[in-house]
Amino acid sequence: MAGRRTLQVLVMLGGLIAWALQFTLIYGVTSTLCGRGWADKTLFGGGVVPVTILLSTLAALAIGAAMLLLSLKEYRSLQHGTASAVDTFMNQAAILISGLSLVVIIWHGVPALILPACA
Amino acid sequence: MNAPGLPKSFERDRSELPNPLPRPEGEFEGLKKAWEPPKGISFITAVNNTYVGLWYVGTAFLFFILAGILALIMRAQLASPESDLVGHDLYNQLFTMHGTVMMFLFAVPAVEAASVYLLPNMQAARDLPFPRLSAYAFWAYFVGGLVFFCTIFFGLAPNGGWFMYPPLTSTKYSPADNADWWLLGIGFIEISAIAGAIEIIVGVMKTRAVGMSLDKLPVYSWAMLVFAAMIVIGFPAIILGTLLLELERAFDWPFFIAERGGDPLLWQHLFWFFGHPEVYIIFLPATGMVSMIVPAMAQTPLVGYRLVVLALIATGFLSFGLWVHHMFATGLPKMSLSFFSAASTAVAVPSGIQVFAWIATIASGRMKLTTPSLFVIGFLFIFTLGGLTGVMVAMAPFDWQAHDSYFVVAHLHYVLIGGMVFPLFAAFYYWVPVASKRALSERLGRWVFGLMFLGVNVTFLPMHITGLIGMPRRVYTYPVGMGWDALNLVSTVGAFMIAIGVAIFLVDMARNFRFAGEDNAGNVWNAGTLEWLPNGNYATRSIPSVNSREPLWDQPDLAKNVEDGRYYLPGTATGGREALVTSPFDARPQYILQIPGPGWQPVLSAVFTAAFFLLLTVKLIFLSVICGVLAVGCVIWWLWETDPGPVRPPADIGGGVVVPVYVTGPMNHSWWAMIVLMIVSGMVFTCLIFSYLFLWLVNPMAWPPQETVLPSVAWPLAAAFLYVVSAALILWASRVLKGDDRRAPRSVPILIGVALVLVSGASAVDLWAQWRSGLSPSAHAYGAAVYAILSLQIFFVLTTLVMGLYTIARWVAGRLDSVRRTTFDNTMLFWIYTTGQGLVGLLVVYGFPRLGGGV
Ligand code: HEM
Repeated sequence: MAGRRTLQVLVMLGGLIAWALQFTLIYGVTSTLCGRGWADKTLFGGGVVPVTILLSTLAALAIGAAMLLLSLKEYRSLQHGTASAVDTFMNQAAILISGLSLVVIIWHGVPALILPACA
Repeated sequence: MNAPGLPKSFERDRSELPNPLPRPEGEFEGLKKAWEPPKGISFITAVNNTYVGLWYVGTAFLFFILAGILALIMRAQLASPESDLVGHDLYNQLFTMHGTVMMFLFAVPAVEAASVYLLPNMQAARDLPFPRLSAYAFWAYFVGGLVFFCTIFFGLAPNGGWFMYPPLTSTKYSPADNADWWLLGIGFIEISAIAGAIEIIVGVMKTRAVGMSLDKLPVYSWAMLVFAAMIVIGFPAIILGTLLLELERAFDWPFFIAERGGDPLLWQHLFWFFGHPEVYIIFLPATGMVSMIVPAMAQTPLVGYRLVVLALIATGFLSFGLWVHHMFATGLPKMSLSFFSAASTAVAVPSGIQVFAWIATIASGRMKLTTPSLFVIGFLFIFTLGGLTGVMVAMAPFDWQAHDSYFVVAHLHYVLIGGMVFPLFAAFYYWVPVASKRALSERLGRWVFGLMFLGVNVTFLPMHITGLIGMPRRVYTYPVGMGWDALNLVSTVGAFMIAIGVAIFLVDMARNFRFAGEDNAGNVWNAGTLEWLPNGNYATRSIPSVNSREPLWDQPDLAKNVEDGRYYLPGTATGGREALVTSPFDARPQYILQIPGPGWQPVLSAVFTAAFFLLLTVKLIFLSVICGVLAVGCVIWWLWETDPGPVRPPADIGGGVVVPVYVTGPMNHSWWAMIVLMIVSGMVFTCLIFSYLFLWLVNPMAWPPQETVLPSVAWPLAAAFLYVVSAALILWASRVLKGDDRRAPRSVPILIGVALVLVSGASAVDLWAQWRSGLSPSAHAYGAAVYAILSLQIFFVLTTLVMGLYTIARWVAGRLDSVRRTTFDNTMLFWIYTTGQGLVGLLVVYGFPRLGGGV
């Protein structure tokens, strides 16, 4: 019971938590690399800064999308059974929040990618 | 999902009322007697949320008036050019105090105070889960805040601006005590805010009406939950910041002094990690209030409940993304700037969602133009304007222009007054009938609104122009002929209009506010939520079971049946004060929480805590230490009466629902509070590690500085070993202390005692290792950072020590056994936390410099 509830909360907040991680990672990595003058190093054949931004944005998107898919699946199964009002509520909140988090993650990632690093 | 132990009848038929009539003789009298507040001088020891809540709101409002008077003095000075009403130095103190008092002593406490009053009523709880904690938070704030304010009469008030940027506030440029007053005073009041936040989180999650599951939680409760979570995450940053700056000022540990490896920017990071969310911390509860008022005024449920909850949660997260936004003018990489522009616009989306929800609700019902409605409309208007100028300020190039001009002053007041003061006045007019025998006057209310609304626009609209044509903020006067004269005069006239509006409000309060025990003005707005149930000192006679978000609209006769005692727990099961604890998601009854009643302990410990900090400021170290010890003593005296154990077998609260009067483990309310406290501590520690890494970043090739000798790895390994073993011993003690047979084995105090020695040993080893390596905390920021991590850990170990000894004392006194073990559980949780923090600290302090190799 307690475990299921924790899971529900995690799915509900997962997208936003992913955004927070993306944010911290991009901010931490760029300010460290630019501050130390290490930004011209390369990673996987690209500049280290854009590659980290790209990877963390994709990772965050993946988490957000996973939460969205999970909650949409749950939504369909709730349609059939006799779900309690709380479950329905948590599920709909999860759909809304993970949907929003996808937008926010892109919103933050794209300009960071377009702009030159360390300028 | 059937909760275990609940009879089928509870699931099947909610329409049948749990308790039959007539109620047994003496039941109601017993309930009343348990909740009666103390009389005479002991009245100040009352802890009922209704009393403490009102004192708290009243005090916060007093600070609004005091800070408002400071603003009037400033406006009088600025009314004409080259005026010499107040001089340069006093003016600096005036704006610093006005800003600080408004933000820290008015805005945050006011919304927290309102929730101490409102939350239990709205959730039909008898009280908050830790009434003495709210009393403590209130008294600490009351004493500390008033003394802090009085410094302005002695020219001791802080004068570095409300965000206290070093190096301006470092010893070099501010040698006098003024800055210390700010640091200790505010740091301390933040602690009281955190105490309140813990109370709110546990209160919202665990003490609700039966059946008030998360989907039926009032929007206000949601807002307060997010608010409290934001405090828990955001305030530790400012507490740590003030701590570091005070350490620098008192002991010359150079965290912010560039010549010795520090960096003033570190302060800005810590300050704004708290400071930007702060605006939303103030704003969210205000929106929560509006979301309660609008449906009542329009007589229709809030449109888009789910979206509003989404907006609250999203705002809570996204607002933290804004922290570096305030440092546009300090030259961070362009990309970060874009990042923060993105965050500012992103956070505007959830605010927009809420505005649309209110407008849709107004449109779908029929809005009565009462005083609360007027204030809500005023709020929408002013706040939206503030939001628009906010978007302008958020565009980086524009920010460079407007930075530090009156444009920013105008923007900030539109947001704060629109976003917080107007909703608060709406709330006053709306909720006074719950607390008072008479409602406030609608006629005077319209005057208050009119004067304040016009006044705010007359004051602050012209300031946008004054700012754009070049007038900087924080200047005590300006020369003739700059074209600023007329605009400034208009602003001053506006400020006095606001003041007259507030004065009329006070007259209205004096004429109509009469504290109500049981005979409040009643549901004058025909609202749908539970705070409008008939109530007394005991809150509602019985605890209702609800099946919608507006139970008073949807469940006819609810009020009558509640008052007749036909719902749950119509009397008292243990003879004392009680609250019904419900499960966090579905709000099913879990257990009866025995609540402590009035007592001197919270009052005295608050006074001594305040004295400790205030005396420290004026460097009366000896007296201050005495007060500190007394404060700890009072807290222990207070705790001694808690954790009463199962004083009687499980009780029937009605409808065949039988619940225990004592539980331990993760269901227990203090377990929850402990977890929240651990998150707070974890945030303080995280901010400290962030500071360490930040200082590393700004010190290339000097981390550690050349001459430093790192202690050998043997030391941290030894310390880590001691930490781990001590925690293991505690876990072992926990295993020994299991069972339903109320055993109190002798091995428990012995295990705790040994663990105490080990944990103290661990931090002693750590300290010794640094000490003998000759590292100095004041030579370089590196040493300062290392010693800061070490000192924090020592503080936690000392706290563990007190808690461990206290737990042993409980065992000796026969107040600890395998069933009555909440005290032990709390100590155990804290112990595990301290161990974890210690291990991470060792890893960073001894590992990182080796890893980085001085780069
Ligand atoms: C009610 C009428 C108010 C008036 C007439 C007023 C007036 C002023 C004035 C004249 C200043 C100084 C500007 C300068 O010299 O730079 C100021 C600053 C400030 N005010 Fe207000 N204010 C009012 C309400 C509020 C409220 C309700 C809040 C917050 C909740 C607030 C927060 C601040 C802050 C944070 C500052 C900046 C202080 C600093 O520069 O360090 N004010 N206000």
